Amino acid sequence: MLDQRTERLVIQRARKGDREAITTLIQSYQRPLEAFLFRLCGKPELAEDLAQEAFVRVIRSLDRFDEQYRFSTWLFTIGKRLLVNAQQKMRPTSDSETVEYRADDTRTPLLAVESAEREQRIGKLVEIAIDSLVSPQREIVLLFHQQGWPVQRIAAELGMPEGTVKSHLFRARRRMLFAIEQSGVSNPEEVLR
Amino acid sequence: MNFFGGEDRACGPQRMLVRVLLALRCEARRSPDPAVDRQRAERLADRIIAELPRSVLPLGIAALVVVAVVCAGPLLRDALTERTALAGPAPVATVVEAGIREQGAALQDGFATIRAIVEPFAESDRAVHADGPPGPNGFAPCCDPPCDAAAPFPRS
Repeated sequence: MLDQRTERLVIQRARKGDREAITTLIQSYQRPLEAFLFRLCGKPELAEDLAQEAFVRVIRSLDRFDEQYRFSTWLFTIGKRLLVNAQQKMRPTSDSETVEYRADDTRTPLLAVESAEREQRIGKLVEIAIDSLVSPQREIVLLFHQQGWPVQRIAAELGMPEGTVKSHLFRARRRMLFAIEQSGVSNPEEVLR
Repeated sequence: MNFFGGEDRACGPQRMLVRVLLALRCEARRSPDPAVDRQRAERLADRIIAELPRSVLPLGIAALVVVAVVCAGPLLRDALTERTALAGPAPVATVVEAGIREQGAALQDGFATIRAIVEPFAESDRAVHADGPPGPNGFAPCCDPPCDAAAPFPRS
């Protein structure tokens, strides 16, 4: 992730069509955006396509970007809108190959040090936990735990009080815990070992 | 007390939840091989840059259409006015023509005023020369040239 000052400089260069700056912007946010959209829709190919489309739209409209806001906030908002449009006739369920996709994904840092089998089990648990959440809890959990956004920024983005965001986070964690308990994993050490 | 404020009765699932949240966090980080991310970003950047002129083209066409409409407006208005003038009895076709006619009328008024001022003097002048026989052009002949009458020196 770029810090805000660097981000502004890169955006100013990207506005002039600087290929290097555009590449830097994409490289900084492509994986976070794809991961966010993937966990919202459960379809890796769709998430990748939507992330690319979001970048195309954002970079074409850089002249309209207000620099007092964060670029990532704008990008994620457009990505989410694209997803909502694409999902009008789809339920947010995961593909059957989702776990395999994540297990085969050598870009995930965890896989560099952990076995594919163990990662697959954790991936399955992540899927179970996320699938147990409904909107807007799912989005809040992803923005907070996956993207690392502070509560204040999430509240501003979603247009709700900070207390409501914290409440959603608390309930979402409890719901995920319940889903994990109900998942039938009798021995957690088996997963965590 | 556990993570949710309750009793510590489900340590295993809680540990798994923490692990799940950590796994989620890792998903948003860059890969250990930055070259892969770089290549993907460069491919997408090339695609976006290649498509940028296409997005500008419709704007250019729209701008041309606006300019054409703005320029064609007066021509259309003149054409419509001319058609109306041909169809109707109104003699004045354009604003320019009306302006020229107004100026012409003002000039005529000016000539009439000057003529009215000059007319009495012309009458009295005609009365002064009325005693002599008129010349071949109807004017009275002058006796001495004005230069002789006014000459202060004798002729050489």
